[in-house]
Amino acid sequence: MLENHQEYLKTSPYSLNKEEKRRQFTKYMNELTKYHFEHCAEYSLMLKSLNFSADKSYGLEELPFLPVGLFKEFEMISVPKEKIVKTMASSGTSGQPVSKVLLDSATARAQSRCLYYIVNSFIGNKRCPMLIIDTELVKKDPRLFSARGAGIIGFSMFGRDVFFALDQDMNLRVEELKRWIDSHKGNKIVMFGYTYIVWQFFRRVLNELKIFLDIKDGELFHIGGWKKLQVKNVDAKKFRHALKEVCGNIHVRDYYGMVEQLGSVFVECEHGHKHCSIFSDIITRRAKDFSPCDFGERGIIELMSVLPSAYPGHIILTEDEGIILGEDDCPCGRKGKYFEILGRLKSAEVRGCSDTYGQ
Amino acid sequence: MILMQQNFNNLQFLVGTQNILEELKTVPALPIFAPRMTEFFSAFSNVILKDRRARNFAHVTAYAYWIRRASLEREKNMRNDFIDSRLGRGVAFHIAPSNVPLAFAMSLTVAAMAGNASCVRLSSREFAEVEIICDAMNELLDTGFKDLKNYFLLVRYPHDERITEFFSELCDVRIIWGGDNTINTIRQIPLLPRSVEFTFADRHSVALIQSEKYLESNAQDVAKKFYADTYDMDQNACSSPRAVIWTGNATDEAREKFWASLEKIVHADYEMQPIQAVDKFSAACMLGMKNNGVKLVSTDNFVTRVEVDALKSSCMDFKPGGGCFIEYIAKDWSEIIPLLNKQCQTVAVLGINLQDFRKWVISKGLRGVDRIVPFGETTALAFMWDGFDLINGMSRYIEV
Repeated sequence: MLENHQEYLKTSPYSLNKEEKRRQFTKYMNELTKYHFEHCAEYSLMLKSLNFSADKSYGLEELPFLPVGLFKEFEMISVPKEKIVKTMASSGTSGQPVSKVLLDSATARAQSRCLYYIVNSFIGNKRCPMLIIDTELVKKDPRLFSARGAGIIGFSMFGRDVFFALDQDMNLRVEELKRWIDSHKGNKIVMFGYTYIVWQFFRRVLNELKIFLDIKDGELFHIGGWKKLQVKNVDAKKFRHALKEVCGNIHVRDYYGMVEQLGSVFVECEHGHKHCSIFSDIITRRAKDFSPCDFGERGIIELMSVLPSAYPGHIILTEDEGIILGEDDCPCGRKGKYFEILGRLKSAEVRGCSDTYGQ
Repeated sequence: MILMQQNFNNLQFLVGTQNILEELKTVPALPIFAPRMTEFFSAFSNVILKDRRARNFAHVTAYAYWIRRASLEREKNMRNDFIDSRLGRGVAFHIAPSNVPLAFAMSLTVAAMAGNASCVRLSSREFAEVEIICDAMNELLDTGFKDLKNYFLLVRYPHDERITEFFSELCDVRIIWGGDNTINTIRQIPLLPRSVEFTFADRHSVALIQSEKYLESNAQDVAKKFYADTYDMDQNACSSPRAVIWTGNATDEAREKFWASLEKIVHADYEMQPIQAVDKFSAACMLGMKNNGVKLVSTDNFVTRVEVDALKSSCMDFKPGGGCFIEYIAKDWSEIIPLLNKQCQTVAVLGINLQDFRKWVISKGLRGVDRIVPFGETTALAFMWDGFDLINGMSRYIEV
C-alpha cells in the first residue's frame, strides 16, 4: 500500500498549502480506507455497520473513523500474520488494558522515515549529539516493545553519541552528564524525553543540586501526558521556563502523537502551536453528532495519518479534546493545520450498578 | 467463638455508634412488618419529604413514597397468611453499591420490615441523597424512636477486609450489591453456617414493544417513561433496558415515532458528556466488528441505536450506558430467548399483557427474567428483587 505514496512521503513536511494538501490527502485516505476494508476482516465488518460503501469517494470529513479504544479490544491487521515484525503497546496505566498495534516492516520503516523528516525540519540535516532523558533500560525491555522504548529508539536514530541521562534506577548521572555536555561545547544538542520524566527526574534534580548545564544551542523534544504535572500546577509555560533555567539556551518543543500513528507526530513550533505535517491531519468533532467543529471551537480530536498500512489506524477518533487554531497561517510559516491540545476527555461520573467495593 | 476486637479506627459512623455496634448481636429480632417499624418508616417518610433538599432528587422522593404507611400496609396485607409466624433472622449486613445512591435505603427498609437489625456499609462516594437519608434517620432515632436505635447502623470504611470479616461473622443475612467482582471478592469471606446471603449481580434488561399497541398510546407519555427507565440513571442501572425489541406489523411507523419522541426529551433534558458520545460510538463499532448484520442507525449521539439482524447473548456485552440501544424486530417472542438468559433481570413491556408474558417465560423454562414491568417502572422499589422474596428470605418461619 505504501508503495503508492513514496513520492508524496518525500515532500517537505510543512510545504503544501491547504488546497493541495486536501486534494492529495483525501485521495490517500480514501485509498487507505478501501485497502483496509478489503484486507482487515474486523475493520471491514465495522465499516459495514457504519454503512460504508467501497465504491464511493468520500470527503475528508465524511470518512469513517475508528475509535482508538478498539485497539485495546481487537488485534487488527491488514497484512498476512507472518509479515508482522513488531507489536507496539501503549504505556497504559497499570492494570488497564493497553492498545496493541501490529507493525510490518514497511510500516515501521515508513514511520521512522517520517519522524526523521519531521524532526530534521526542526533541527537541520546534520546529525547532532543526542541526550535522551531516560534510562537505557527501556530500550532493552524484552517483553513488549513499549511505546516509551520505541519512541526512544526511534528518536535516538537521528543523533550521534547518544547519551542516556538516567541510570537504571532513574537517578540522574550528574557527573557523566556534565562531562558529556562539556565534550560537545559548540555543537547543537538534541534532547528527548517524556514530559513527566523530564520534569521529575531531570529538571527537579538539576534544580535541587543547583546545576546549570549551560547549553548554548539545544532542542528539547518532549512527549506524553500532562496529568501528573497538572497536579503539581505545572503548565506548558512553566515547564518551558523551568527547563531553560537549568539547561540554558534551548527550544522546548512539546509534541503530540499516538502509538496508533507513530511517526506522523505533531510538533510544537516556536509559537507554541502543534502542527500537522503532510503525513497527518486533524479534525475536531462535536460530541452531539460528531459533526466537524469550526476552527477555534473545542472538540473531540480525530487524527489521520498516511502511514498505517499494516493495520487500520489511518483515521482514529481519540479520547482527547483540542482546538484547531488555523491552517497555513501560523506566524512560524509552516503550512498545514495547527492546533492546541486540551487533554483527555473527562471520564463520566455516572450512576448505575457496578463494581466499586474498593472505593 | 473468639471475641473479636471491635475497635476499628477507620470505621466512620453515619448512623449509630460504637456502642450500638457492640450490642448488635443481642438485639431482639422483630416480627415481619412490626407495627413499630411501620410507624418508624412512615415518620421517616414525612421527615424526608419535608426536607427541601429532597425535592431535587426524584429517587429520594420516590423512596419516601414507597415507605409511607399505606404502601407498607399494602405489602403487609399481601402477607397476612403468615404475618404471625415469621420472625427476623437477626442482623443484616448490607454492602451497598457506590453508584446507586438509593439502593442501600431499599435494602435497609426490606431488612427492617423483615424484622432485622441492619448494618450498612456505604460507599465512600458521597451523595447528597445519602446525606438526606442519614440526617432524617438520625433525627428520628434521637427523638421519638430512641427504642429503635439499636436496629440501624450505617458506616463507611475504606477497603478493609478485617472489618468486612467482622460484620460477616456477626450477621445472619448478608446482602451484597454487585457487580460480579465485588460479589466474588466478598464471597471469599465466609459466613456463619446458618447465615444466608443475597447477591445482586450484574444484570441486563430489555424493553419489548408491541408496535400497533404503541401507536395507540400517547407517544410523549411513553417517551417520558422510557427516559425515566434509562437516561435517569445514565442507563447504568441493571434494570435499565439496553435492548429494544419490536413486535407486530407496524414496526416501521412505531419505531420512527418512538425514537423521535425520545430524542426530543433527551435533547432537552440529558446532559451528555463528550466521553459518553465516544464510549457509545465505540460500543457500536465493537458490536459491528464482532457480528455480521449490524447497522448504526442513530440520527445523532444523544440516542445511539444499533440495529441487529439476529439476537445473541453477546449483543449485551457492551454496556457504555448513557443511551445506547440494541434494536431488533422480532417475528415472535421466541426470537428474544437468547437475551433472556440468567443475566436478564427486567423486561419492560408496552402493549403486552404482563401475565401473558410471565406465563410464556414459565412455559419456556427460561433461566432469566425476574421482573416484568410496564414502561416507566423499571426503577420501582420493591420487596421482591432479582427474583428473591426478600421478606421471606430475611426472616424465619416458625412452624407449629
